[in-house]
Amino acid sequence: MLRGGRVGSVHPLVALLWLAPALALILGVVLYPAIKLFGASRSEYSITGLRRGDAGWDNYAKVLEHPSLGTVLANTVTWVVAVVAVTILLGLALAQFLVKQFPGRRYVRWAVIVPWAASLIITSQLFVLLYDYNYGIINHLLINVGLIDTPIDFLGDDSWTMFSMVVVGVFVSLPFTIFVFIAGLNAIPDDVLEAATVDGASPWQRYRRITLPLLRPALMIATVLNVIYVFNSFPIVYTLNDRNPGYLHDTTITFMYKLAFKSQEKDVGMSAAAGIFNVLLILAVVLIYLRIINWREETSR
Amino acid sequence: MRSMKTSAAIAGMALAGLVLAACGGGTGAGNTPDNTVGGGAETKTIKLVAAEYSKDNTKAFWDAFAKTYKEKTGYSLEVQIISWDNLDQQSSTMIQNNQAPDILNLNAYASYAKDGLLYSSDEVLPESVKSDILPTFVKYGTYQGKFYGFPDLSSARAFFYNTDLFTEAGIANPPKTWAELEDAAKKITGLGSGNVGYALPLGPEESQGEFSMWLFNNGGTWKDQGKWTINSPQNVETLTFLKKLADQKLTQNNPARTNRADAFDLFKSGKAGMIIGFSPLAAALDEDGKVKYAVAPFPTNDGSESKTFGVTDYLMAFKKPGNSNQAAVKAFYELYYQKDQINTWIKSEGFLPVTQSGIEEFRSDEKLKVYLDTLPNAQLTPTDDPTWDRVKLAVQQNLGRAMTGDPKAVLDELQQTAESAS
Repeated sequence: MLRGGRVGSVHPLVALLWLAPALALILGVVLYPAIKLFGASRSEYSITGLRRGDAGWDNYAKVLEHPSLGTVLANTVTWVVAVVAVTILLGLALAQFLVKQFPGRRYVRWAVIVPWAASLIITSQLFVLLYDYNYGIINHLLINVGLIDTPIDFLGDDSWTMFSMVVVGVFVSLPFTIFVFIAGLNAIPDDVLEAATVDGASPWQRYRRITLPLLRPALMIATVLNVIYVFNSFPIVYTLNDRNPGYLHDTTITFMYKLAFKSQEKDVGMSAAAGIFNVLLILAVVLIYLRIINWREETSR
Repeated sequence: MRSMKTSAAIAGMALAGLVLAACGGGTGAGNTPDNTVGGGAETKTIKLVAAEYSKDNTKAFWDAFAKTYKEKTGYSLEVQIISWDNLDQQSSTMIQNNQAPDILNLNAYASYAKDGLLYSSDEVLPESVKSDILPTFVKYGTYQGKFYGFPDLSSARAFFYNTDLFTEAGIANPPKTWAELEDAAKKITGLGSGNVGYALPLGPEESQGEFSMWLFNNGGTWKDQGKWTINSPQNVETLTFLKKLADQKLTQNNPARTNRADAFDLFKSGKAGMIIGFSPLAAALDEDGKVKYAVAPFPTNDGSESKTFGVTDYLMAFKKPGNSNQAAVKAFYELYYQKDQINTWIKSEGFLPVTQSGIEEFRSDEKLKVYLDTLPNAQLTPTDDPTWDRVKLAVQQNLGRAMTGDPKAVLDELQQTAESAS
């Protein structure tokens, strides 16, 4: 903590000098775009992108009145909750496995990073090919094994599209999550677990009563960061969904993009307003989540 | 201490959220040179933003062009090439930031003319060039009596069919009417092993193109004599026919959710009997050498003379304060429309000419004959109406719904969109 002039007293201007690069970064990278975004959301734009004048709050009203808003919000909730929940559960299991000593562990850990290292667009395109109705390997396999008779239209059949997208979302979110959990598990002191074993705790009791509570910081980080990443994930939803008309399977992020460039609205101002809503939404979600975590901590004491 | 950490975490996450959201907004301001030299001084360097038609040829052509331009005129040309996927977004961003290029290559122009951003032909196009451009393209490039949409190249659609599949199914000639087309599709689909009669892309990528070809060959239009005719009886009949093809499973699976590129892939794999293609598809098929195909005029509903759907893209010129770039822009067009420039470029990209002299020059190529004959009478979508720029997007997003819904209702809704946007 900086408390004025106690430790090796420093003139405030000198402190400012040291802080300047960080402040400049925050101003330039965070504040400036945010102000521009807000400015755009209050402007009226022509379809060409030419600013026509002030729009007041019209763009916000238009977003709120958009007939597809309900669908888009519902999709966003399904998408975020499904991807994050499945990722966390699978991540916990896989991390538990990867902290065990076994021959070749190092290579398995490397392999786990691969989906993270690949560009999201490339991964998404790859899955488009895997899911393909006519030539996709997945359909080919399922038919050969005899599970289905006719191919499944994973990306074009409304009842499958969201599921297919969630699978890809989990696939790309897992590496990061697993490594957060591996780090968390490694930070748990062995002696606590040993003590529990000596006291006769079953493996499940040890996991439930010791590992999980001590993993709470890692769980919190993984959940919050995943919620933000998945919420803001553009390439997967956009690429896997590009054949579908309208906003049937769009989340708020792709909705915002389509409003600006692909839909009949083609309105940058409206898209900017949707962008402001996005920021508010994710902030609210994260704050509520952290509140819940805190509240649990307090009551458990 | 713990609450300190938590609030730091909240602050950090709030920032992360903001940054990500800001990035999501995609305001990638390009590095445009500052063209607004004070005092209306003449600009010596102009900027071209061009669409990437192909990885191999587009950049090569424009780089060579810029060199020649510099040598012949003394002006410099800065070239930025952008893929079609990003072009709309980038050009919109440039205009938002008041950094429009001097020349922009795009598939629409009327909204830009409406916003008063463009030079008309009177200001920057030599008269000899204007009289050389095919009258159809001048017509569709004219907004409120002035010619703004200067075409860079064109394409015309034609009917492609897989001759092997036709032989196998015992069909002697390409269909001349829609009834014959339906019959041929039934026979080809009947061959089994995954063959589909007609590959129908009505997905959001370019459904207006597919539908244009069909409705023009049923005597329909998008807009006629200043009135929108999207839900005309002919158009409803056309869309109902397409739905019938889909319902009988004579098309590939889920046509409403198939984009053009995927339909082309199906034809290239030899599994589709018929498709609407254009010269770049022919080039791709020839290169693969896998599928035997032939090209014919598109069948009409009643067997009358076939019409073709033509497409041009545009090279439009942006005004700058004090018209400082006018001379340089004019010099650009003078050079671009010279035969050895424009025709070399069009040939290398595998498209069709936009000028009379170009048609003469391309005439010698047997393969292009079927397109060139139809090109001067090609029908275009109403690109001269700024409303179309919006209607086109509505069509792309909604037309496919007719495959599972009521074709008339879908067209009624589009008609309403067009009328209320006008």
